[in-house]
Amino acid sequence: MTDKTPKSVSATLAAATCSLLGSAPAAPVQAQEDPGWDFNTALLYYGEDNDRVQDLSLNILGKRYFVDDRALTLGLTVDTLTGATPNGAIRQGVPQTFTRPSGSSVYTIPANELPLDDTFKDTRVALTAGWEQPLGRLWKTSVGFSGSFEYDYTHLGLNGGLSRDFNNRNTTVSAGLAIARDEWDPVGGTPIPFSPMLDVGDTGNKTGTETKDVVDAVLGVTQVISRNLLVQLNYSFSNSTGYLTDPYKFLSLVDGATGDTITRVPAPGVEGPSHEFRFESRPDDRTKHSVYTQAKYYMGGKVLDASYRYMTDDWEIDSHTLDLRLRWPIGEQSFVEPHFRFYTQSEADFYTISLVEGIELPAFASSDYRLGNFDAITAGLKYGWTTRGGNEMSVRAELYQQRGSIPGNLLIGNQVGRETYPDLDAIIVQFSYRFSR
Amino acid sequence: MNNRRFAVIGTAALLALTSGCSSMGVEPWERDILAKDEMQLTTDPVEAAIDDHIYFSKEASSGGRGFGGGGCGCN
Repeated sequence: MTDKTPKSVSATLAAATCSLLGSAPAAPVQAQEDPGWDFNTALLYYGEDNDRVQDLSLNILGKRYFVDDRALTLGLTVDTLTGATPNGAIRQGVPQTFTRPSGSSVYTIPANELPLDDTFKDTRVALTAGWEQPLGRLWKTSVGFSGSFEYDYTHLGLNGGLSRDFNNRNTTVSAGLAIARDEWDPVGGTPIPFSPMLDVGDTGNKTGTETKDVVDAVLGVTQVISRNLLVQLNYSFSNSTGYLTDPYKFLSLVDGATGDTITRVPAPGVEGPSHEFRFESRPDDRTKHSVYTQAKYYMGGKVLDASYRYMTDDWEIDSHTLDLRLRWPIGEQSFVEPHFRFYTQSEADFYTISLVEGIELPAFASSDYRLGNFDAITAGLKYGWTTRGGNEMSVRAELYQQRGSIPGNLLIGNQVGRETYPDLDAIIVQFSYRFSR
Repeated sequence: MNNRRFAVIGTAALLALTSGCSSMGVEPWERDILAKDEMQLTTDPVEAAIDDHIYFSKEASSGGRGFGGGGCGCN
């Protein structure tokens, strides 16, 4: 409201604006007199090449508005995951046999192939619940719960947020805090860091469950620049403590001259690993900082959504993420939206591809490709339309590609030329349906 | 970068932006475009959550737009 506007007119406009906008510039338009549920649903297929991870995911998010802009949000996600994933060992010129995580059988990888563990099967059910409520005219608060349940992993979290509008609601300052307690209960037990992979039936290297605690904090400013331009700037802090290791990943123990993995012979009459492997070990503390900025720009019907994120952490990983979407209307009822995303990260300071026999082990080591040095590109297209009943549908198809490199100083002997980063190609296909009841 | 210094610089940038923003913006009756669904910062919360989950599972970074995501033992 401004002093230049006659009081009755400004009051009317303010009331109309508030009822249209909710209390924050970023809130979705929602008429208060509509007491029904608004549902966002999506069916997703995510598939990696070479029979790696496949995910079929059903997502439902329901939101119900009450008077005074109070809103309840309930979410459900069910993921069905299958496929193979790199186990962390390097390639060899001979077949390699590994004990499965369960410790009950083995699997063999042919010579010169990237070792993948194909026992990866899981169903994940994730639930979220949230409540938003204005506090007076300018403040808004929210509280939420999140839970995620897998066969071997449980996540429980709480979050809360507070925001306040300034400058005629052109500026919104927000703060959020989330805490989580996650628990690992891996198939076959949690391996002791750096312990050797053992023969089938030998659980001497396994312990019980492990936990990690995560604290996330976000501080943000959202600013209306003009009728066509909205920007946001966030600073995020995240600290994880506890068991941050991946219990299913390990490293090859190699000869310091040849770089080949040391061979081993299972106990008589028992199946077991053909080579020496050591379970990975990560620090039990990680602190991440990130700055995220996003702009929404309206250009005569088209909307550009651009964001950039810089992240740095005390594992010495730095990353940059650029994300661009352009929503291009086709007539009144439909649109297309090309999407491009570029991501690049440097490797963690304890990232390596193998451990050397006879040399004192480092404090921490992981060959998880996700902690390595790589770039990733996502390119895709979405087509959306409004149905006769006023509901919204969309379908999107995207390609996700990771290309990495192993720092030359990590390669030993025969590893040069044989060992390459496990590049990844994946497709994302999603069908979304939004409706009200 | 030193983490504490990073936090201080980040906070200072936020404060500077906040104070500098007081002269920007629109009048309440100029919000027709900003009120459109497609002009919200998150136009599709489900798609945003899906993307956050995919990238959390495959990359070493997460969050930024909101909380760090996660809550999975993703392989």
